[in-house]
Amino acid sequence: MTRDLLTRAWIWLIALSGGSAVVALFVEQGMDRRIAGGLILLLALFKSRTILARYLGLAAAPSWRRGFNLVLSFYCALLLGLYLVGGTTL
Amino acid sequence: MSDASASMLDELPGELMMWVLIISELLVFGAGLAVFLSVRLTDPVGFAESQDYLHRTGAALNTIVLVSSGFLAAYALRWREAAQRLKARLALIAAALLGVVFLIIKGAEYADKAAQGIGPETNAFFTFYYLLTGFHAAHVVAGIVILLLVAWKDEPRNIETGAAFWHMVDLVWVLLFPVVYLLG
Repeated sequence: MTRDLLTRAWIWLIALSGGSAVVALFVEQGMDRRIAGGLILLLALFKSRTILARYLGLAAAPSWRRGFNLVLSFYCALLLGLYLVGGTTL
Repeated sequence: MSDASASMLDELPGELMMWVLIISELLVFGAGLAVFLSVRLTDPVGFAESQDYLHRTGAALNTIVLVSSGFLAAYALRWREAAQRLKARLALIAAALLGVVFLIIKGAEYADKAAQGIGPETNAFFTFYYLLTGFHAAHVVAGIVILLLVAWKDEPRNIETGAAFWHMVDLVWVLLFPVVYLLG
């Protein structure tokens, strides 16, 4: 079962990475960069959470997992804020 | 130490000191990426133009390489715990080889930049680019050595600690890649 969860996590990580590439392609075709930035950071957050939960085993430590997820979520929100304040000029 | 805090620490998988290292590294890289985006506030156009010189496809490929390498390292621990030592060792060696692939792709990107006359002193964007990606690449080199070391000294505890270091390298990359390569 654990092995299946690992395999699923890997497939999920590949899919999320593909998602980032698709968003980057949409940007080149004129997608609003503010929306793209939010999506790209959201995908990065999901990847980080998956690595922490499945690769590093925090799925077995729920309180630590919640703590890491909370801090990472705030951190990604900070990055998004800095990105949006900086403007999306191209 | 109270029982509650002791049981909280016991809940953490693997070595406590490895978690201290993981959190420390995340704080260092996290601060670096936040400063990168803060400096971008002073010249968003210049940062976006500089970012267009980067190899986004190569970096995206490197994300696939690292998460696949992490998968093999995680599997190695499962195999070792199931007393399948050969499979575990091969998985660790394969994970290390994927780390080498990451460095080759990164090296090609650095070589291309050098050929275009781009270096750390070109502008603020490239100063941070080389600082952040170079520091991360140094961790990849250390991770490869650690993976090979635990493939040799393959006690489950060693593999768990070595794999945790590798996952930290992976974790840093999935945050670094979108900020440096995609948020233009």
